[in-house]
Amino acid sequence: MLGKLITGLTTTQLEIIEGPPAGHIFLEGPAGCGKTTTGVERLARLLESGVRGDSLLVLVPQRALGKPYYDVLHTPGLAAGGLPDVVTIGGLARRMVELFWPLAAEKAGFAHPEAPPTFLTLETAQYYMAHLVRPKLAEGFFETVVIDRNRLYSQIIDNLNKAALNDFDHTEIGERLKSAWVGEISQLRVYDDAQQCANIFRQYCLEHNLLDFSLQVEIFYRLLWQAEPLCQQYLKRTYHHLIADNIEENPPVAHQILQDWLPDFDSALLIFDQQAGYRVFLGADPGQASELRRFCERQVLFSESFITNPSLKSLEEALQRVLQPEKNPALPASLETPGDPSLALSYSQARYYPQMLDDITDRIADLIAQGTPAGEIVVLAPFLSDSLRYSLTYRLEAAGIPARAYRPSRALRDEPATLCLLSLAAIAHPDWQMSPRKEDFTLTLLQALDGLDLVRARLLADSVYRLKEGKPVLESFAQLPASKRERITYRIGEVYDRLRDWLENAASGPVEPLDHFIARLFGELLSQPGFGFHADYKAAEVTANLIESVQKFRWVAGEPLQTEGIPLGREYLQMVQDGVIAATYVHSFQEVVAEAVFLSPAHTFLMQNRPVEYQFWLEIGSRNWFERISQPLTHPYVLSRRWEKGRSWTQSEEERTSRESMTHLVTGLIRRCRGQIHLGLSQLNEQGFESRGPLLHAFDRLLRNLPEIEGGPV
Amino acid sequence: MNLPDNFVFSQGNLQDYVDCKRRFQLRYIERRSWPAIKAEPALVHEEWMQLGARFHRMVEQALSGVPAEQINVSPEDEKLSLWWRNYLSLHGKLTGIENAPEEELSFFPELTLSAGVGGYRLLAKYDLIVITSAGQLVIYDWKTSVKRPRREWLADRLQTRVYPYLLVRAGQTLTGGLPVPPEKVSMVYWFAGYPDDPERFPYNQPAFERDSSYLEGLINEISGLEPTQFTLTDVLQQCTYCQYRSLCDRGTRAGEFTGEEAEGTLAELSDLLFDLDTIPEIGYD
Ligand code: SF4
Repeated sequence: MLGKLITGLTTTQLEIIEGPPAGHIFLEGPAGCGKTTTGVERLARLLESGVRGDSLLVLVPQRALGKPYYDVLHTPGLAAGGLPDVVTIGGLARRMVELFWPLAAEKAGFAHPEAPPTFLTLETAQYYMAHLVRPKLAEGFFETVVIDRNRLYSQIIDNLNKAALNDFDHTEIGERLKSAWVGEISQLRVYDDAQQCANIFRQYCLEHNLLDFSLQVEIFYRLLWQAEPLCQQYLKRTYHHLIADNIEENPPVAHQILQDWLPDFDSALLIFDQQAGYRVFLGADPGQASELRRFCERQVLFSESFITNPSLKSLEEALQRVLQPEKNPALPASLETPGDPSLALSYSQARYYPQMLDDITDRIADLIAQGTPAGEIVVLAPFLSDSLRYSLTYRLEAAGIPARAYRPSRALRDEPATLCLLSLAAIAHPDWQMSPRKEDFTLTLLQALDGLDLVRARLLADSVYRLKEGKPVLESFAQLPASKRERITYRIGEVYDRLRDWLENAASGPVEPLDHFIARLFGELLSQPGFGFHADYKAAEVTANLIESVQKFRWVAGEPLQTEGIPLGREYLQMVQDGVIAATYVHSFQEVVAEAVFLSPAHTFLMQNRPVEYQFWLEIGSRNWFERISQPLTHPYVLSRRWEKGRSWTQSEEERTSRESMTHLVTGLIRRCRGQIHLGLSQLNEQGFESRGPLLHAFDRLLRNLPEIEGGPV
Repeated sequence: MNLPDNFVFSQGNLQDYVDCKRRFQLRYIERRSWPAIKAEPALVHEEWMQLGARFHRMVEQALSGVPAEQINVSPEDEKLSLWWRNYLSLHGKLTGIENAPEEELSFFPELTLSAGVGGYRLLAKYDLIVITSAGQLVIYDWKTSVKRPRREWLADRLQTRVYPYLLVRAGQTLTGGLPVPPEKVSMVYWFAGYPDDPERFPYNQPAFERDSSYLEGLINEISGLEPTQFTLTDVLQQCTYCQYRSLCDRGTRAGEFTGEEAEGTLAELSDLLFDLDTIPEIGYD
């Protein structure tokens, strides 16, 4: 394995990979120059050389970025021994808090330090936040804010996370936001409200042994790492070698821990991706990451890309000069990359959006006809709307081109299988008084009974479903007039009666947790022959996700609800209806289909870290390449350790940071391209308006200087 | 070759294969969710598994240096309190190392070892490995089953073969590079509910050779099967506690939770908890 990967490596890469298991190296360079390959090979080499696997720590900012390391650890040819830990800072925090809970619980101020901790997921944290903030909304909190309530809850959670990741007190959130604000005075009240809600939530967590992400990080960093010798000793005794990849995507607390810990590692390899930091919105601090180079004895710079060619490189430089002239002054011709940017870029323009899509489809078809594999082509836009996804996939498929669009998974609550399971649960628990609407019951039957069509589902629902004193009642099939029974068919009637009997039995039996009820409903009935989930893997996956969501909810909220006499199942259904939970759907994996054109939002493609031959960029005129989404309760830059307290966030700051993130984004995309980038331009956008955002202006200026490029003036 | 790239074998998935080829295919190759109830009463089953996981965590805390007196169990958790008292009453004198002075022992709690076998990786997560100054390597596995399983049942489990075998193959990482002679390895099952009745399995060269060819053969067999050759088990008893029973048309209701069979599922729960450990907040990780 090692031999195969070793082929094609540079001397400097080999030097790092084969170096002794001692010393600290800071390795930096742009994307695509072989830094992660070096890290992965270094890991394999350390294991080959007899370093204990369990003494090796691999730190990555996001689980997906650990994949190359996991892959090498699963290769059969790797030396036998212990397994290194591949973790994120959040994962490490959670593990340490669990392990050293008895030492930290009391100091952290938990009301029941003798009882075990309850870790909250994003979903259950959102539930508690909603539970605590809802009464405040009734009191007039956030009156001037016009966003969906659930976004409001998640921004308060986000503020707490930012405080923990930047190591400032959560009680400073409001003041920091207020002191930077320069607009309408009414916004100050919103920040006060956000602060109060954060305080209430934190207090509630301490009273009930609940640990959201922010408390896990805070306890790990402040109470364990900084103040509990046993924890530090444990970590330092366990890990002697470190590989930390993409450190620019990590938050300040991770950098501070690395800085403190570095002298104790026998060997360390810190990998820094220049001009990245795509997770600033999640607390990443590339500036502080780059300062870690001072704590390493050796600094290595990889500058040569294994991916891009000189033309792309000079396109990247030319674009950077246009986007951020102050940071990228023109170089004397002798120092410029010798490539010709016009070879790296092409564009086509049309007046109307659909014409542009037709043109893109033709170009992709040409590339494929010339032998480019479909998997080597991506179509990128700052935001992938449903209609763009549909119109382009439709065109590509009609042209016989395999295509796959990145699909933000459908929310669990919007899945037809979820509707079916929760409606049946509501019918089996009439006391919850959560009767499904007739239309929902029709859809439930459509899902539950195999071979039923919409017409007969409607007829059956109309005939058997009643509400009696507000509670749902199901009539038996046998009670229907013969004419109806015949239209519905006796086969369907028989299966329906089995469903009805099962629900009746469940309703009269002992009350059981909702997740167990659903598992039983699935196993004993819906997945049996004759029912709609039989041999249906997709429905089974949705059911499994739903059960997991309910189970986590029960483990966290079960006891308090029981104390208040509120049925857990009813509360869960209520929360689903309010969009508080089951709003996200965590898949096992969204595998990249190798042989299909990939349609994706630009950021998503970037985080996949997968270079391709051709990129098509659409909607260049959109301001979404430039502007961050509006978040009235939070602020990614102000709530960071770098932001000086009391300094105002002005329009020019907004402009500067937006330009900077856009430059990073387009640079990152170019660095993940091997062949050519094509711009699909249309005078009118998808909505029929002209849009001329900053990226379009930049290309406009750039293209004026590239007269030979395919196309014409933008 | 039908297995996904870089497929990893463990005692858990090999045991599943031996129990039912189809279950192995559904669970590990096709990765099919099929969320039916495994054992009844479901709540009792779940609570037992959670208690087992909590007990494992407490022992890990103690072995990681947390003073035992600071590890609390509420007296209302009767079962857990009893198990914990049983553990503490050992005073570190575990079977197999009773006479060794503590300062001469090296403890490796919650260790994962792996090695290549038959063109794939075989992996095991150990509760505890202790090495004595005389070079003995003792594997401990904490069992929290309701009933104390019979020796024959344990001897038959893949775990009893995979754990010592893998320690011989990969244990040099713990011995400063010195090879691990099979004779120096033993495996002890310690039952939290039956503290004075542990089960010890010594190991030796012939057993190592037997396991080596058995495991290699098993892995070769699995990787050589065509998708249609993953047949349903003939032992219908296996289906009683299997979540795929409705998919295979092997019944509707789950079997009664008796305890002995919980061992396999406990391993799954700790796998689950292990996975959850590494999945913090969405977005932040
Ligand atoms: S139900 Fe029976 S046959 Fe089917 S996978 Fe499970 S054990 Fe195998």
